[in-house]
Amino acid sequence: MSAPATTPDPPVRPGARRVEEYVLGAAIVGLGVFVLVDTASIAVPGSANAVGPRTFPYVVGALLVAAGAAVLTATALGRLGEAEDGEDVDPEAGTDWRTVVQLVAFFLAHAWLVERAGWPLALAALFAGAAWTLGARPWWRPVLIGLALGVVLQAVFATGLGLSLPPGLLEGVPILDD
Amino acid sequence: MTDAAAVLDGFAQALQPAYLLYALLGVFLGTAVGVLPGIGPAMAVALLLPLTYDLDVTAAMIVFAGIYYGGMYGGSTTSILLNTPGESASIVTALEGNRMAKTGRGAAALATAAVGSFVAGTLGTLALTLVAPVVADWAVQLGPADYVALMVVAFVTVGALLGSSVARGLASLALGLFVGLIGTDTLTGQQRFTFGVPLLADGIDVVVVAVGVFAVGEALYVASRLRHGPIEVIPVPRGWRSWMSRSDWSRSWRPWLRGTAIGFPVGTIPAGGADVSTFLSYATEKRLARHRHEFGKGAIEGVAGPEAANNAAAAGVLVPLLTLGLPTTATAAVMIAAFQTYGIQPGPLLFENQPVLVWTLVASLYIGNLMLLVFNLPLVGLWVKVLRVPRHYLYAGILSFAALGSYALNFSTVDLVLLLGIGVVGFFMRRHGYPVAPLVVGMILGPMAEEQVRRTLAISQGDLTALVTSPFAATAYGLLAVLLGLALWARRRERQASAREMAMSG
Repeated sequence: MSAPATTPDPPVRPGARRVEEYVLGAAIVGLGVFVLVDTASIAVPGSANAVGPRTFPYVVGALLVAAGAAVLTATALGRLGEAEDGEDVDPEAGTDWRTVVQLVAFFLAHAWLVERAGWPLALAALFAGAAWTLGARPWWRPVLIGLALGVVLQAVFATGLGLSLPPGLLEGVPILDD
Repeated sequence: MTDAAAVLDGFAQALQPAYLLYALLGVFLGTAVGVLPGIGPAMAVALLLPLTYDLDVTAAMIVFAGIYYGGMYGGSTTSILLNTPGESASIVTALEGNRMAKTGRGAAALATAAVGSFVAGTLGTLALTLVAPVVADWAVQLGPADYVALMVVAFVTVGALLGSSVARGLASLALGLFVGLIGTDTLTGQQRFTFGVPLLADGIDVVVVAVGVFAVGEALYVASRLRHGPIEVIPVPRGWRSWMSRSDWSRSWRPWLRGTAIGFPVGTIPAGGADVSTFLSYATEKRLARHRHEFGKGAIEGVAGPEAANNAAAAGVLVPLLTLGLPTTATAAVMIAAFQTYGIQPGPLLFENQPVLVWTLVASLYIGNLMLLVFNLPLVGLWVKVLRVPRHYLYAGILSFAALGSYALNFSTVDLVLLLGIGVVGFFMRRHGYPVAPLVVGMILGPMAEEQVRRTLAISQGDLTALVTSPFAATAYGLLAVLLGLALWARRRERQASAREMAMSG
């Protein structure tokens, strides 16, 4: 492997990383506070004994607040979380936010399409979009694979498992529409 | 000798041709997902759950058992053959195995891992066969307060010991407990945290949560920092002869047995699962080795021991899972969810009520282990091909199957949106060192713990001391303190060992 021409960004820049850690810790504390407040609105029927439907949520809310506070403290003391590593994770790569946003967008498109264009086409959109985002070229190859995957899975589900995913635009096609 | 009869009954069941095929399917799928980076056994079981609704219970359990063991085998192939420079020493097998492969001894590393996994898996399953009925007999006497104690032990150990930060582990656990609260309270019928969404009244499905954090979260995270460029797989020389020489055998068999002896007990206690056992085994082998100078350059003992420990621990995890209904790892938690989908509650009564199912499951573990040994080495060429799957298709495929599995649950787009939301949470958790396993364990154990607490207090008429006065519960809380001390000690050892390793190799 040749050395890159410029020094790569560390996985997450220290300053931004710390801000993110604080935001996460605060979000956990916030969720805990919400749980504690919202628990008061859970109705307690007269028949409930000493420990009703509210007790456990109070404990969980308190645990969330405590754990979030512990994370905030650890962050303030400089003990940041260690980002997970894995076989396909490049330890030297910076975060590619554009890829993440695109993947989320294609996933939402899939959810929107399922009941409009049908499951096979929605799946093709998700697969092709995700593979293209991650670097599959030329663009038509993931599209073809995605379409094939969608149609085959639809057929397997309809004939083999007797579950009919919404065929959508392919409605009425034998095998696919059970 | 009713137990022996039940075991034989189980074998008779598992040896039926149809069930043998399901076992084969399970170990094959398990190995494939184990080989693929980015997919673990927990995620594989979660993804396949909705697709196995049509199978009968026994067949489904056999498939899951195969995936469970197969995933362990597959993982070692990846860590030995995948050449990923710069990765930290998170997988012990990679330490020695990867270096053996680089010096042309990849086949020996794969072989000692496979045979060691078989030996440890078989001995571990044998230990499970002997220990589980005894534990189950004893566990029948446990009252609700005792179960509360067991669950508290599991919460604390899983939350505090998995991952590198206690605070983040507990946050992950608390998040899981909260997700478990969403839905309708079983005792009073009140809705909690459902935000008026009808689908949430039944609670969030475990499959959506498990697939969300494991599959979608992992895919988003890896995508954000994807390693581009060619996938470097270390070539393995062909042919049977190169597998293991006589000296490889003689250097491997003791580490296999020691690894088994370390792995099984560590697996049965909730002490952080297989990782701890592999580190302990590695440290032990290094201390005992005659060829100590080879460690860090490809010592076969460093592959044989940890691989055996890993598989023995996997068998050990099944003891609390089957006899107490207590999951101590993420995979075990998803397995519990799988059992519940079929209306089966693992626990002491399982051995009384469903002996045939239990023993068929155990018998299929023996059979699956043998299949793995027989198929894995000859198929190594296939696994290498699997390893080379272009990553853009691999992660697009993971997202696609995650979407399929969640949508097929209720045919509702709400589940898809939930899945994505949980996936984004999983993404940020990975980014900042929050372990995801406590979330899944908390979500599954939380509702059970709440029910047992309320049963205890209903019996004692609100007297809180009832939670700690039973002798077993008191002992459990005492042991918890000891266990925490021991586990934190083991973890420090493990860190020191890996720090030394890094220093030596760096």
